[in-house]
Amino acid sequence: MVLVLVVGDMHIPFRASGLSPKFKKLLVPGKIQHILCTGNLCTRESYDYLKTLASDVHVVRGDFDENVNYPEQKVVTVGQFRIGMCHGHQICPWGDTESLAMLQRQLNVDILIFGHTHKFEAYEHESHFYINPGSITGAFSPTASEVIPSFVLMDIQASTVVTYVYQLQANDVKVERIEYQKS
Amino acid sequence: MGESALPNSEEQERLLDEALQVVKRESFHMKRELDKNKLMDGLKHASDLLKELRTSALTPKNYYELYMAVCDELRHLQIYLTDEFQKGRLVSDLYELVQYAGNIIPRLYLLVTVGVVYIKVKPGSCEAILKDLVEMCRGVQHPLRGLFLRNYLLQCTKNVLPDTCDGEQKGDNGDKGATIQNSIDFILLNFAEMNKLWVRMQHLGHSREKERRERERQELRILVGTNLVRLSQLEAVDVNSYRKIVLNGILEQAVSCRDPIAQEYLMECIIQVFPDEFHLQTLRSFLRACADLHPQVNIRNTIIALIDRLSHFATKDDGTGIPNDVMLFDIFSEQIANIIEVRPQMKLEDVVSMQTALVNLAFNCYPERTDYVDRVLEATVQVFETRNVELVMNGSHLCKEMCELLQVPITIYNNILTILQLQYFAPLYEHLDYQSRKKIAVNMVSNALDHNTVVSSPEETDLFLMLVSPLIQDQADQPADIDEEDFIEEQGLVGRFAHMLYSDDPDQHFQILRKAQSHFAKGGNKRMRFTFPAVVCASYSLTLRFKEQKEEDAAWQKKCQKIFETCRSVINTLCQAEYSELPIRLFLQGALAASELEFENHEAVAYEFISQAFSIYEEEIADSRAQLAAVMLLVSTIEKCKCFSEESHAPLRTQCAHAASRLLKKPDQSRAVAHVAHLFWSGCTQETDKKEMRESRRVVECLKKAIRTANQCMEPAVQLQLFVEILNKYIYFYERGCTGITVDLLNQLIAKIREELGGLESSDCEVIQIHFDNTLRHIQQLVENSKEKDLTNDGEKLFEGILL
Amino acid sequence: MNFFGFGSGAEIEILLDGADKRKKVEHKISENKSEELSVYYDGETVSGAVSISLKPGGKLEHKGIKIELIGQIEILYDRANQHDFATLTKQLASPGILNQSKVYAFEFPHVEKPYESYFGSNVRLRYSLKVTVGRRLTDLNKELEFVVHTLSTYPDTNTSIKMEVGIEDCLHIEFEYNKQKYHLKDAIIGKIYFLLVRVKIKHMEMHVIKRETTGTGPSVYHDDDTVAKFEIMDGAPVKGESIPIRLFLGGYNLTPSMRDINRKFSVKYFLNLVLIDEEDRRYFKQQEIILWRKGDVPRRQINSAIEESTQRFGA
Repeated sequence: MVLVLVVGDMHIPFRASGLSPKFKKLLVPGKIQHILCTGNLCTRESYDYLKTLASDVHVVRGDFDENVNYPEQKVVTVGQFRIGMCHGHQICPWGDTESLAMLQRQLNVDILIFGHTHKFEAYEHESHFYINPGSITGAFSPTASEVIPSFVLMDIQASTVVTYVYQLQANDVKVERIEYQKS
Repeated sequence: MGESALPNSEEQERLLDEALQVVKRESFHMKRELDKNKLMDGLKHASDLLKELRTSALTPKNYYELYMAVCDELRHLQIYLTDEFQKGRLVSDLYELVQYAGNIIPRLYLLVTVGVVYIKVKPGSCEAILKDLVEMCRGVQHPLRGLFLRNYLLQCTKNVLPDTCDGEQKGDNGDKGATIQNSIDFILLNFAEMNKLWVRMQHLGHSREKERRERERQELRILVGTNLVRLSQLEAVDVNSYRKIVLNGILEQAVSCRDPIAQEYLMECIIQVFPDEFHLQTLRSFLRACADLHPQVNIRNTIIALIDRLSHFATKDDGTGIPNDVMLFDIFSEQIANIIEVRPQMKLEDVVSMQTALVNLAFNCYPERTDYVDRVLEATVQVFETRNVELVMNGSHLCKEMCELLQVPITIYNNILTILQLQYFAPLYEHLDYQSRKKIAVNMVSNALDHNTVVSSPEETDLFLMLVSPLIQDQADQPADIDEEDFIEEQGLVGRFAHMLYSDDPDQHFQILRKAQSHFAKGGNKRMRFTFPAVVCASYSLTLRFKEQKEEDAAWQKKCQKIFETCRSVINTLCQAEYSELPIRLFLQGALAASELEFENHEAVAYEFISQAFSIYEEEIADSRAQLAAVMLLVSTIEKCKCFSEESHAPLRTQCAHAASRLLKKPDQSRAVAHVAHLFWSGCTQETDKKEMRESRRVVECLKKAIRTANQCMEPAVQLQLFVEILNKYIYFYERGCTGITVDLLNQLIAKIREELGGLESSDCEVIQIHFDNTLRHIQQLVENSKEKDLTNDGEKLFEGILL
Repeated sequence: MNFFGFGSGAEIEILLDGADKRKKVEHKISENKSEELSVYYDGETVSGAVSISLKPGGKLEHKGIKIELIGQIEILYDRANQHDFATLTKQLASPGILNQSKVYAFEFPHVEKPYESYFGSNVRLRYSLKVTVGRRLTDLNKELEFVVHTLSTYPDTNTSIKMEVGIEDCLHIEFEYNKQKYHLKDAIIGKIYFLLVRVKIKHMEMHVIKRETTGTGPSVYHDDDTVAKFEIMDGAPVKGESIPIRLFLGGYNLTPSMRDINRKFSVKYFLNLVLIDEEDRRYFKQQEIILWRKGDVPRRQINSAIEESTQRFGA
């Protein structure tokens, strides 16, 4: 069992002051093996925080990230899965399934992780899996009328990925579960 | 002790050994004689073993060892005598007989031993004997020997001290028996004499031995302290007799002896040994005595020990708490002020640390009384004034104490809004140097963030940002060079804090943001990149809330307009400070926000914002990577804006296309131009009713231009990569029904790619190959889908004739 | 049993009346030998019996038997200077022959015994009963010593001794003793108050000195003997300290003060306050006291014992 945390769009300090205490309580160091961050941290402080949760942290550059050295895209292999990462502001239209699929084909990944829309999504498309963890801080986005803070935890076992999405609704953490089987 | 130097430690061991041998030997004989009931002979041997205690050659530690051995033997004698007396076989003259001994040390030890036996057997003699014993001990004026003798007296009398208010044991002359008063008198006298002897040790001997003497004094202090312990063990001493008699007796001796070591120890002893209930009722006396202590005594420790103890008492779970008639804070406050006044030599840092303890007391005992905390701060400010202290040096002890003091309200309330109510917090804080002020400011901001303290009024925002001004703007006493990392961390805190400024009332929230911005505007170029974006994004977010209220608030549109105008000028300030990438992004976000909001004039606002973004792009962005990113962002943003009329949208599209095609690097150009295709496809205007405009022709133009540009790339691998990407785009648009994209076109491109792939070296082409294969597979899938669903593009069956 | 002359076979013994009920004191004859002597007071009758025992079948021819009661002062370094101040004689028997043991009673009624027995370094005052059996060649003698004690009553006036002494800029003390006249079982109660202390005192002692003065005129001879050494303070006091003194005279072998006894000798007592400093220098102040003998008291009860043994000056 390999746990992968998928987070992004914190926008600290420009749009949010920090993570909700309820989320912070769940994110305990030592339990998670990998962290995939879709970008827009925006500063070193958030990166350092992620590093305290797991030593293997991957970040792709968001449009407001200060660190210009984060890559625009990245591919990470965890177990049997090739996972691609991209913030998503580079895709046009933002959040468009087919456009994302183009990137999936280019990176040749089983799972594509993206962000930018501040909306949680997890779906299968043409036998590939797409995950948008949303904004973990619920940061404002002009294109989203209401942003619910969320993040995703992937449990990778052999050829199965069980995705848990954690959402903060009415100050309570709700969890949903989605399964993806690699074909 | 006034003699020449003591023998060294080897000698000491030998001397001690010898003495212990004598004690053992004489004790053996003593016991033997007592077994034979030959009392006088037994006493003679007891006297001989006691003579060893006359020595001047041992260090206090060794003397103590000898003393303990002797006490053991005397215990045996005492038990024997008590036995004999109780059996009625008393020698009535024994008290007199033991006084025949020629040497005073053995004489007095025996007198004490015998005296205690008398008291046990004849309780009526208690008063007379206790008085006699404590007085006769005056004969030993040698400090070390005197201390141990009186300690022996104290230990022996432990269980015979009268402990009742009315004399249960009637005196033998018919008057009332010994009472608690006798015990108190006895112990107080013994204590006074012991303290005098102990203090005397300080002045005996050569000045170069002072350190050793003081160390030895400390070793012996418990002997003096035991008197106080004994007083505290008397059950009949209630708070009244403690207040009227006991404490006065102790304090008198402590103050008048004028010895710093004794004073410091005794005050500490009083605090530890007597119950807190007593302390509460005698605070004034005790604290007044503290004021009178020798200047060298650091009463800070004493005061803080007392305060901490009473604090603990007040907050104990199973405790009774502070009685209502004890105005604990008032007393401390008044007495400490007095102490500070009469002890001008007291170091300011000690004064401050006392105030810190007092603040903690105030909070622990009276948590709701923020005015108490303020009073302490006020008192501290006054002390600073009285002593003419302007600035506190960084790193000094005073600085450390001041920071601790100011930290207390932050920590105890965990609510910076409460700190804003403390009038004297800021004045005190202003005395600190830059580093310390900054540190405290950081603590306050961090505290607010950690405890989610929401600042919900412009006045509080103003006050707080003024208070933490070392973070907000350059200070007069700021050093020239600052640590970059610290600076970034601090500004991050400020940026995060901006989101703690919030009001449920949007108008109020707007005022708050204005206030905040007015402070941030003074922050200078280095700070604004951290603070301005927060305000801007918060403002954008605020506009949504105004829209939500549109039913109740007729002016919501004007208000939104105002907000965007304010944001515009804020972002412009960033531009003037030579920032470029950040303003572009902020303008683009603003444009999107305006577009979504649909208030009156929102199109103009969105257009203005995008134009500004373009201007900055053209004038300021020089780096090619940054240029590509900016162009892509502009395209994607405009693609998302649904508010423009064709009249506005067209120039924007053109600008995008131009910008894309003017990028320096060919690959960038190719990609950017391909990206622009999306704008022509899924962008929308008012005229298209916010639906995709689907300008097929322009899309195909873009893609063809992209191909052409790709062809101009020198590196085959790069070229090929571009081809595959553009192929994907072709398929994307083809599938959506973009006319002008034909299967032939697709076939051509596919064939070209395949051909070029063959010519590439394996290491370069693997990734591209996979990409290409994926693409082909995707097309295959689409072909199968289209067969199933009978899809067409421009009348033709989708992918009919595709060659994979 | 003394035998003077051989072959006489006579043993003389002097027995005192009521000897078993009479108070006795131990009198040291030599280093390890001591004997018990009966105590008589002035005006008391000295009576008893003289027993002369003969060996069975023996006979004693004598020129008369007498008993004398002698009071005598002996100057030890001047044996010639021996003075009998009291001599009383009683004839027991006129010259004759004793054929068997005989007991002669004697009585010296209401004997004047003006002086107390005294056994000193250079002078002795002793009382004895001497039996002499007169004979042709050598007399037979037997002597029995007894002791006389002179009792006094409480003096009419007995003020305390108070004095301030000192050495300029060095040491100033004020001492007080509760009385000038002490009986032999009394306690010297007093205190020493330190007014100025500029020397490093090691300790302080109280000595009782007996001064025996013999001789008159140009050949006066003083013999000083420290009969008591009593440590009253250990260590160095500071100005303002008050040190208690309680010295029980009963613990020492003392005699009453004797003033110009028979113009032959005097015994005076002095209290010597001695301060010794760190360099073993001594500072002292001597003060004469008068010692007198009190009549015996019955054994004290413990309560009065406590009261008496806890006396302090000004307490």
